[in-house]
Amino acid sequence: MYDDFANPWNIRLKWLYLLGVVFALLMPVFYTIYISFNQHGFGARIYDFTFDWYRVVLGDTLLVVSLKWTVYLALAAIAATIPMALLSAKFYKRTRRKVAFVALMLSPLFVPADIMGSALLVFFKNLAIGFVWLDEALGVYWFDGWFDLGFLTALIGQVIYVHPYAFIVILITMSRYRVQQTEAARGCGATAWQAFWQVEFPQIRVGVFSSCAFVTILSFNEAVRTALLKGGFDTFSNVLVAQMLNIGMSGESYAMAGIMSIVSMLVIGSVIVFTLLRTERLERRARAMAEPVMSS
Amino acid sequence: MTQSSDIAVEVVDLAKNYGPVRALNSVSFSIEGGRYYALLGPSGGGKTTLLRLIGGFLRPSAGSVYLHGQDVSHLPPDRRPTSMVFQNYALFPHMTVERNVAYGLKLLKAPPGEIRDKVERMLGMVGLEGYNRRMPHELSGGQQQRVQLARSLVLERDILLLDEPLASLDAKLRKDMCLELKRIQEKVGITFIHVTHNQEEALTVADRIAIIADGELVEEGTARDIYETPRMRFTAEFIGDNNVLDGVVADISDGRATVDLGFARVDVAAHGLPAARGDAVALSVRSELLRIVGSGQDPEASWQLIPATYVEAIYLGLTISHLVRLPDGTEIVARVISGERSEEEFEPGSEVTMGWPGDRARLHVA
Amino acid sequence: MSSGAISGPARAGGGRDIPAPAARWRDYLGENGVQKWVFYIPVVFFLLFFAAPMALTVVWSVFERTQFWMEPGFTLFAYDNFFSSARAENYLFSMLHGAASVVIAFAIGFPIAVFIRRRVTRVAQHRVILLFILPFMISELVRVFAMRPVLGRHGIVNSLLMELGVISEPITVILYSPLGVIIGDVMSFLPFMIFAGFLALEAVQNYIFEVCDDLGTGRVRLFTHIILPLAAPGIFAGSVFIFVNSLGVALVPTLLGGPGAVNAGLIANQAIVALDFPLAMAISTIMIVTLVALLYIGHRLFDLTKVLEPIS
Repeated sequence: MYDDFANPWNIRLKWLYLLGVVFALLMPVFYTIYISFNQHGFGARIYDFTFDWYRVVLGDTLLVVSLKWTVYLALAAIAATIPMALLSAKFYKRTRRKVAFVALMLSPLFVPADIMGSALLVFFKNLAIGFVWLDEALGVYWFDGWFDLGFLTALIGQVIYVHPYAFIVILITMSRYRVQQTEAARGCGATAWQAFWQVEFPQIRVGVFSSCAFVTILSFNEAVRTALLKGGFDTFSNVLVAQMLNIGMSGESYAMAGIMSIVSMLVIGSVIVFTLLRTERLERRARAMAEPVMSS
Repeated sequence: MTQSSDIAVEVVDLAKNYGPVRALNSVSFSIEGGRYYALLGPSGGGKTTLLRLIGGFLRPSAGSVYLHGQDVSHLPPDRRPTSMVFQNYALFPHMTVERNVAYGLKLLKAPPGEIRDKVERMLGMVGLEGYNRRMPHELSGGQQQRVQLARSLVLERDILLLDEPLASLDAKLRKDMCLELKRIQEKVGITFIHVTHNQEEALTVADRIAIIADGELVEEGTARDIYETPRMRFTAEFIGDNNVLDGVVADISDGRATVDLGFARVDVAAHGLPAARGDAVALSVRSELLRIVGSGQDPEASWQLIPATYVEAIYLGLTISHLVRLPDGTEIVARVISGERSEEEFEPGSEVTMGWPGDRARLHVA
Repeated sequence: MSSGAISGPARAGGGRDIPAPAARWRDYLGENGVQKWVFYIPVVFFLLFFAAPMALTVVWSVFERTQFWMEPGFTLFAYDNFFSSARAENYLFSMLHGAASVVIAFAIGFPIAVFIRRRVTRVAQHRVILLFILPFMISELVRVFAMRPVLGRHGIVNSLLMELGVISEPITVILYSPLGVIIGDVMSFLPFMIFAGFLALEAVQNYIFEVCDDLGTGRVRLFTHIILPLAAPGIFAGSVFIFVNSLGVALVPTLLGGPGAVNAGLIANQAIVALDFPLAMAISTIMIVTLVALLYIGHRLFDLTKVLEPIS
């Protein structure tokens, strides 16, 4: 919305402020990346550009293994979260108790990582104890090891954390979708699944892809819940936290932080570019709609 | 079972609740095959709910739907012999016109050649030859609705449901599309059930009309019956431009009732309605039948006359509405075609006499 | 009752002579069978792995502590331990930090939300918002960690200021200090205030601003009478998010606070490390009670369901 009477300098000043805040938010991260390319690390008077720290990180088997676990966890989080977020969004559309449902789905956003992690940790330990007890009571070994801390528990912690974001993104995309199209497809003889897959999904694909990107990044960046709930492995960010706390900051830490932020920026950057290109296309379409093609 | 073969749709005690809200209240009726049937009523009256129950988009709270004698109440829409045309936005925006129309046939795994032929034929029937490659957003509203129609008809189901199909079109286009729908229905010969809140639309397209309001079926009949001889007061108020007058039965004999309006007594045919002396009743006179009886004119003996005060004339193009006030304060309207007769000019506030041919008023007991 | 006008032959009697078709396997797989229940998976999952653990923290917080674990019982030892030690004081102190972070984030962020809503064209609005998504999407760990080389004794801020001659000695109060924690919290959670404020304002129709211009509502009154009340649910949601996270995210005091800097998250974390599970659960309970109380008050005051309008 433009105000024709506003003082242009006033507006320019406000833009400057806005961009200044964006700069302030991003500057530390870029500074970290800048340091990570310095041969002499943080605080040195001289700056010699080098990839050495990255070579050290990527040459460290422990770190490469942790990177592998991070990728597994992210992939598993996508596989578990996206279908569930689609189901949640569909459920939201049809349920009458929308407020209660949304409150349940979004409240994990408001529970800080350490609190959520601790509660889940104690919950899983109790579940594991409960299952062992159940086995003893039944005289079997069916449930031994269920919910012992491991990949599955770390994954559940992550799904609880990333699901609200995926849910919101998909829900917003879905809100532009007209239900009549599903009904029309049903009327044409499509089953519920066919109507979803052939008619609705192509139209919400963008939202699904962006929530995949979000889930990847959030899962990749997650450190606290995983640290509490994992068992038998470390993720990349787990190693980074341990390093910062135990060894202190080294050139290696800066390179690891650099890897984490560069990956995030690449993923999010491509989503943003893709979204912008798409809105551009939609606008062209909207302009085409404004001048409808007359019958030939 | 034998006679139900020509009954396309039958609903029995059909009801639908949305939580505590009752949208449809135990409705029963049936529709003969091959008819063009309109469900007409005010918004929120339950007509769309009824249509969606027939189509299988809603599950009834009580009662059953029979299509060709088969109970389909428990079946989803894709397993019913119906197909539906929606108000708007129901074309698949990511598919061309051709793919939209072919969608249902593809689901049936029809051979590609057959699909192409049928789609081509159907696009011809709705007047959209050569639009195959267009995307829905490149079409006007009317064209979009034609594509929807083609998409439904191409399936050769024998019951077509239309949910306010013309509501998003402008008045001129709506009129054309009405005639077009009627023509297509006559051509394909299947049952059309058309939901609308627009009486003109319903009267244009339908063989039979059902009036639905407040979750009830108010009245059902041929388009002409509904317009000319409504049985229910609600119908008279909803359809046409009726003047409804309240009164009390003063006398009833020989199938005719004398109704006391408070300031005048008029005579009306009772049509065997269960009215007794002292009952509160209403009578309706369509505005085009009501006349201002001029001072010099001498009306026929059968005309019913009431006194009134002239209020104003409203010019509406084709017609002129004369607004008059009755002694009890009610305002009623007499409508004449502009320029058809040399109308007298009346001074606002002047005393006039209103009259109608004696057999043209309708008595309503409910 | 319906008048039941029947065209065509009426059905005789109530009884149908066709039996209802027997349910087929397809019906069990269909929308009223499995397909219907599939949609309950998320609800069940969140009840089981989110609501249940959260609710059960209350129960576990009164269990008896054992050497490595805990056992069922009822004791308020953990709460006594919490309230009679420096922990309660620390908790209150971190609430104070949280409140300060909220106020600062509001002062910096909300004008941006208003500016984007009012002065940026519809299409560009979402692009500008995307600018703030980028920092939000970079690992919080990295962003908090990155404050060290910025705020430190030899950090970029101090070097720059000394270079310019504004100061002669490095400012040390901005890192490893309560102020450092507040700066870290604001930097971490500021985007959320902008999103929440913008979302709330997006629900306000344009004509409302135009009416105000037309009526000559002044700037101040426009802000206090129109923008603030209409955006209140969003502002509140953003504020609660920031407040609770500055209470609960242990990373910020760990990396940026001075010696002894803690918040609720860090106390809980330390309790877990010390294998004092009832204490960790007691802190979680206190935290959750704080959160629920805040949300309840907010809901009573502003009707938080309004925040959801854009998605419904």
